[in-house]
Amino acid sequence: MTPGARVLVAMSGGVDSSVAAALLVRQRFDVVGVTMKLFEDGAELPDRPCCSLDATSDARRVAELLGIPHYVLNMVDHFSRDIVADFVAEYARGRTPIPCVRCNTFTKFSDLVTKADGIGAEFVATGHYARVIDGALHRGADDNKDQTYFLWGINRSVLRRLMLPVGEMTKAETRALARELQLPRVADKPESQEICFVPGGDYVQILRRELGEHAPALSPGRIVTVDGAVVGEHEGFARYTVGQRRGLPGGASDPLYVIALRPDQREVVVGPREALLGHSLAASGINWLVDEPPRIGDSVQVRIRHRAPLAQAVIDGITASSITLSLPSPVAAISPGQSAVLYDGTRVLGGGIID
Amino acid sequence: MPLGSRYISHMPPASVYLDHAATTPVRAEVLEAMLPYFSAKFGNASSTHRWGREARAASDAARERIAACLGAQPDEICLTSGGTEADNLAVLGGWRAQFGGGRPGIVATPIEHKAVLQAVHQAAREGGDERLLRIAPSGHVDLDNARAHIRDDVAIVSVMWVNNETGVVQPIAELAALSKAAGAVFHTDAVQAFGKLAVDARTVPFDFLSVSGHKFGAPKSIGAVFVRRGTPLTPLFFGGTQDRGRRPGTENVPYAVALATAMEFTLREQHAECERLRTLRDRLEASLLARVPEIVIHGRDAERVPHILHASVPGTDSESMLMALDLQGIAASSGSACQSGSVTPSHVLSAMGVSPELGSAAVRMSVGKLTTDADIDRVVAIYPDVVRSARAMSGAF
Repeated sequence: MTPGARVLVAMSGGVDSSVAAALLVRQRFDVVGVTMKLFEDGAELPDRPCCSLDATSDARRVAELLGIPHYVLNMVDHFSRDIVADFVAEYARGRTPIPCVRCNTFTKFSDLVTKADGIGAEFVATGHYARVIDGALHRGADDNKDQTYFLWGINRSVLRRLMLPVGEMTKAETRALARELQLPRVADKPESQEICFVPGGDYVQILRRELGEHAPALSPGRIVTVDGAVVGEHEGFARYTVGQRRGLPGGASDPLYVIALRPDQREVVVGPREALLGHSLAASGINWLVDEPPRIGDSVQVRIRHRAPLAQAVIDGITASSITLSLPSPVAAISPGQSAVLYDGTRVLGGGIID
Repeated sequence: MPLGSRYISHMPPASVYLDHAATTPVRAEVLEAMLPYFSAKFGNASSTHRWGREARAASDAARERIAACLGAQPDEICLTSGGTEADNLAVLGGWRAQFGGGRPGIVATPIEHKAVLQAVHQAAREGGDERLLRIAPSGHVDLDNARAHIRDDVAIVSVMWVNNETGVVQPIAELAALSKAAGAVFHTDAVQAFGKLAVDARTVPFDFLSVSGHKFGAPKSIGAVFVRRGTPLTPLFFGGTQDRGRRPGTENVPYAVALATAMEFTLREQHAECERLRTLRDRLEASLLARVPEIVIHGRDAERVPHILHASVPGTDSESMLMALDLQGIAASSGSACQSGSVTPSHVLSAMGVSPELGSAAVRMSVGKLTTDADIDRVVAIYPDVVRSARAMSGAF
């Protein structure tokens, strides 16, 4: 990678992307910072100062300190179509989506790459904890912070243009570097685990807005056991996700878990912990990040939710767009809509959406 | 250690400032004239003592000089914190002073600056009957529509002299006369007009007129409203007796001096400077049309001020254009700087009937004090690249 080449850095105003930008400036790349405006955030409200959403202002201040240009890119329309609409539709179908996966696939590493093309930027950089080594995507050096679970869906051709400067570092190192560089405000920002367009984590509010108060997914229904016994009522199956305990009737001898959702009957199926264990899984919408995808009979590792431990798996079946895996040691709470990401050691092979 | 020194930033390309309609640098003469009033002559113009008298003398002199620049009397000048306050004071203060007098009507155009539009909306919330006049595709107010709406139930009419996005000049003399005939008070926002057109209270019968200093070499946050003698006005602020109670608050003497000085220099140079700017703008326009034939120039069929060029290239969007221009060191704007960050098409172009696609691709370039022939050459040379870049960013290859 030639120093002096132009790099478009997605700057959220947080510590990771700020440090990423600073590292690239240090390495003498021609860095251009952008903050994506992805949804209407209330910046238009009359009691807020013009255009100064806090996170965007932070990104702008960091860019100013680094001496790089910074722009706000309005991507509200595409984000709403590609990410928010799918998020809502998935919940309405009784599934548990991960909007960050689609955002990486469609927004950051597709729409943003188009912007990079437009300004002649050879590279695109983000503050993700992941690494690109010899054209392959690998888990970040900080295993606690690894974000490859969200990155399996990106177009493989983007990998050679991708720079992930904090992927080699631990979060503590990133924060220390932010302090050393005196990046304004960002070094000690609390970690954000929220979905960016779901303020306060209240996704039901978004569903209500998009689907309407009386949508089936938000309407009362029965809570039934795997054997068919009715054990209670719920206020909308979209409030539940496989593996969840909260919001279920108590009093059973063993704690109950959500085992499945049946959107057509508006039923939430519950059962004991053993009923959560799965011995296989099927996923579709497969995307491979390697030249030679695994074949039937190959052993791989799979992760079925963010921060879940890696599990051993064997490829049972494979088509152009789907796979089935068998799991020698059963895995709990395999949730439709979540991602199944396949690894070979630290290398990401690819992934798909759990059926 | 200065923070910047730890980083090597890339040499930005030679910069070209084409956003004079957004703001201008403070002129050296203006800065020099105002500086003593920050330090040696720092007095409060309301004080009795020597310091106060000195400040009062400067403040009164500034007011006289500002009045002279507008063909007005000193007591007809009210100094404000800028164009926005000037517009609010005239529109809202002028409307409120007549509220309850059987004239609920408040007339404006949909292409006004937000400072006027939002003040009009506020009057409507307070009981006003808001009417926005039709705009012709040329960018002009439709005068037949104006005749239909400016009736004897209208308290105040507000029409900008020059539109800040397109530079189109409105028929202010006719509209002021129409308003006068209907018994309505007439306000014009002359923020983009002063220094470019003849703005004279003796020849045009406007009742209120707003100007903003930073558009012509004074600092930001100083402006003025002309209030013709006898025009009813309710103040926005309450407090002291400064400016006859119309605008209480300790006088900003240095800024008053700055405004007066900037206005005088601007008028002195107006004729020659406007000729120079028109030549630059027209050459820019002709060259862009030659190099990017599909470019659409807004307001091209109307009389325009000499310094503004507002244009859209099909298949681009303002955001990408401005970014691509800035990366080449060229400062332009999509219209009103206060609207940056939004992708909704310009309300001005929408009112003129421009399609949303072209309306959200508009780029305003405004020449001025800093602009040279070489600047125009450079912009013309890189514009096709900028267009290519912006089209690629929009995904429209």
